[in-house]
Amino acid sequence: MSDAVAQQAAEQEPVIDLSIADAIIDKYIDMSGNLMPVLQAAQDEYGYIPRCVADHIAERLNVYPSQIYGVLTFYAQFHLKPRGKFIIRVCVGTACHVQGAPRIVETFFDKIGIGHAETTPDLRFTFEKVACLGACGMAPLAMVNDSTYGGMTVQKVDDIIADYSKRPLK
Amino acid sequence: MVNLTIDDKQVTAPKTATIYEAAKLNGVNIPILCHDKKLKPFGACRMCLVEVEQMKGRQIPACTTPVTEGMIIRTSTPDIIKARKMVLELLLLNHPLDCPVCDKAGDCDLQNLTYEYKVDSNRFADEKFHHQIDYNNPLIERDMNRCVLCGKCARICDEIVGFGALTFINRGIETKIGCEFEEGLNCEFCGSCISVCPVGSLLARPFKFKARFWSLTKQKSVCGYCGTGCNLTLGVKDNKVLTTLYDENQGFHNGQLCVRGRFGYQFINSDQRLTSPLIRTNGRLMECTWEEALTAVASRLTGGNSVAALATPRLTNEELFLFKKMMLDNVGSSNFDHSAGYAHAALTEGFSRSLGASASPATILDVQKTDLLLVVKTDSYETHPVIGFEINMGVKNKGIKLNIISDKRGKLSKLPGANTLVHSPGSEVAVLNAIAKSILDQKLTDGSASSIPGYAELEKALAAFTPEAVAASSGISADSIKKIAKDYASAEKALILFPVGQSYPGHNQEMASAVANLVILTGKIGKEGCGVLCMSEKSNSQGAVDMGFYAQNGGMNSLQILDACKNGTVKTLFIVGENPVVSYPNGANVKAALDAVDFLVVTELFMTDTAAMADVVLPACSFAEKEGTFTSTDRRVQYVKPAIRKDVKCKTDFEILSALITKLGGQAPSSPASVFAEIAANTSGYAGMSYINLQNNGAFAPVNVTPKLVASKAAPAVSAESGKLAMVTGSTLYHSGTLSQFGEGPMHVCPEAYVEMSRNDAARYKITEKDLVTVSSSTGSIKLKAKVTPRMPEGVVYIPYHFSETPVNAIWNGSAVTVVSIAK
Repeated sequence: MSDAVAQQAAEQEPVIDLSIADAIIDKYIDMSGNLMPVLQAAQDEYGYIPRCVADHIAERLNVYPSQIYGVLTFYAQFHLKPRGKFIIRVCVGTACHVQGAPRIVETFFDKIGIGHAETTPDLRFTFEKVACLGACGMAPLAMVNDSTYGGMTVQKVDDIIADYSKRPLK
Repeated sequence: MVNLTIDDKQVTAPKTATIYEAAKLNGVNIPILCHDKKLKPFGACRMCLVEVEQMKGRQIPACTTPVTEGMIIRTSTPDIIKARKMVLELLLLNHPLDCPVCDKAGDCDLQNLTYEYKVDSNRFADEKFHHQIDYNNPLIERDMNRCVLCGKCARICDEIVGFGALTFINRGIETKIGCEFEEGLNCEFCGSCISVCPVGSLLARPFKFKARFWSLTKQKSVCGYCGTGCNLTLGVKDNKVLTTLYDENQGFHNGQLCVRGRFGYQFINSDQRLTSPLIRTNGRLMECTWEEALTAVASRLTGGNSVAALATPRLTNEELFLFKKMMLDNVGSSNFDHSAGYAHAALTEGFSRSLGASASPATILDVQKTDLLLVVKTDSYETHPVIGFEINMGVKNKGIKLNIISDKRGKLSKLPGANTLVHSPGSEVAVLNAIAKSILDQKLTDGSASSIPGYAELEKALAAFTPEAVAASSGISADSIKKIAKDYASAEKALILFPVGQSYPGHNQEMASAVANLVILTGKIGKEGCGVLCMSEKSNSQGAVDMGFYAQNGGMNSLQILDACKNGTVKTLFIVGENPVVSYPNGANVKAALDAVDFLVVTELFMTDTAAMADVVLPACSFAEKEGTFTSTDRRVQYVKPAIRKDVKCKTDFEILSALITKLGGQAPSSPASVFAEIAANTSGYAGMSYINLQNNGAFAPVNVTPKLVASKAAPAVSAESGKLAMVTGSTLYHSGTLSQFGEGPMHVCPEAYVEMSRNDAARYKITEKDLVTVSSSTGSIKLKAKVTPRMPEGVVYIPYHFSETPVNAIWNGSAVTVVSIAK
């Protein structure tokens, strides 16, 4: 990466307010085994765990940065990249699979242009394939944040995208 | 002890042993991959499965299961063999079989076990991993494709090194070992992870493709850098030291090394080594014969006290003893010294007046046996990293309370429960005195303390050091001082550590006495895990003191010798291995002195800045090419023998001195062994030692203590006026003296001097990491790179002293604290 590009990348990186992390750390600082609650609270606040927040937590809690990264990558609940406002989950479990989930997945890929565990550049959508959402009777199934969409069809994919594309980002 | 049966043999083992340990004790070998005797049991690899009859014949891991009375264990039933074979098959499923190009081949546990269990085919098939190999640093290569996930590297980095560079990343089949955010390794490069890796995942890059493991000759030696006295195994081929090898049974440290010990060996076979005597002819150093050079030198070693000598404490005891003898008997001068004089003053003046012996009463083995550690300066970790590992293990595994008095924070202050009191630079002796005062005030002294000579005088002298008064000047609160006094005095066992060296002028006789007072007042001496350990800088600093190679009986010390060179009193200066131009304070003054002296002889391995000024340069030999003994900082006398043959054109310092003695009309000794016999007969504590009984692990020279309380003077605190900063110098982790500049390993990691400063100061002067800044004091200025770290307190900057390119002595005149200004 050339210096100019690096500069540009640095400018595009959103400014992270570490005082939010400090407030969380202050709350848990005297608790033993405080790493998980701190990371969870930080993720709630920032939406993901930015690098600088992980480093800051490491310094303040006196935990190795590597250890924090180990925890962050072990648990699926933590995210290291910014996440979209709307998390689209498509079930690819057995029941959904036989009911045509692969086509639903492909259609989402085609329409919003991102693959599994990726996020659109405008931070509107994050797309995830999941093994089972526990509602096999509604197969094929998709979810957007907490809303459930059963009996998915290719047409419904368009409707969902159209619906959520209209919603405000802020 | 418990009784148990292993493979139908009745045996006994300690209660605390695991099955693996019990078997090993009784000569039964159970295969392991993830276990290391220095690390906590982990149980990851399942190679050590055994059958225990009481557990219904289930297969259980031997490395994590404690023994119990009457246990009946079978270690190699057909079922067990089958299970181990399967473990190996599964490991080999993903492990690339690139043994022909793997440096680990021949020393690889996986390879050896595969061979032992005859795993010549695999019933399974899977794709190999495609992890990127980490080539980001010049010393350690990480190839995660070969990894068997034993976790030893991550565990040793945490449990012993305390750095935590490596960890398990991800989960399930994607699990691998890595650093934070998939970055390349960027640690302190001690290479401990390499030493325990059972496969070729972690390799020493300087050794890559240098030699097959089985072609190396293993030569035991003692590290030539700091005073810890770590034992080394050098891997030698074709008369070249190619690497250091790990031997978990070597030394008190179980083969554990720091970056200098593991990667600093390249200076031995450096092509920059001097290979011919040089003599100055028409202003230029020209090659000459040994005969010419030695004749020229001998002709100038006359005139009694107009001859002076400086020697490095990296010489062997035999060489120092012989050198002293030559100076006294054959030259007739008592002007000789080492380490700028003040670097050993804590021992020769401080301890000798306070403890009646110029050596530390405690040993490194006491570190893990104590209850409370009081460490002066966090630099203790950087000057003596392997002692730092001992501290780390003691604190983490044995719950030792760690108290630190330092002018900056450091790795030690990150240890669990570490209590770091950061004082203003230069006020450490005052703080130690205040602790002594507080011990007296709180009536925490040992019963017999008041009967020790000097008690009344000390009590009077300490009146000025009330915790409140010292709090004001040192910046440490009175309550903290009182608490540390109480904790220290009430601990059953307590040990004080402090480093000394050329870069710590404040750690002198005053500090030694201040520390000794604490020890004596509380009666923490003469018991296991108690006392004080003065950590000396070079591999044989303690030996140089024991041999008496320092200014005594009216002889001039190092700095006086240099002044005498300048004013013409000293006409011939004989420097052996020291590099005062770079490492002594006030570089300009040193250069002027060496310029002024009539005749300068330098014995060296390399063309150092000092050698370049000489009239005669004699090429000498490194520790790996000579025979002799070194005395570590805790007075363990260790024997070294040549690991390689020396270059025919070089001579050891022993040979050079012997030749000069002959030329001066004296009787040269027949061998180092004969000189050691003389040392053993004449040096307190060395009686009864000989090369034969020092062969294995050496021997401690006992220290007999006669305590005396001595009031120590505290230097006035230095406060930098506004717009200026207080500069302290010191040793950095990767280096030792100026010698490590010729070790490629240390130079790869830390190639140049830097100025370390706090984030707030950096922000104030608008300095960012790696900016080139000018640091100026009243004596000069240097340009170096900035390093911004959270460990420095505001208003204090730190510059390490090792580097010829940017010698700190351009701005440092030997005071403990220098006021500097800094500009971008």
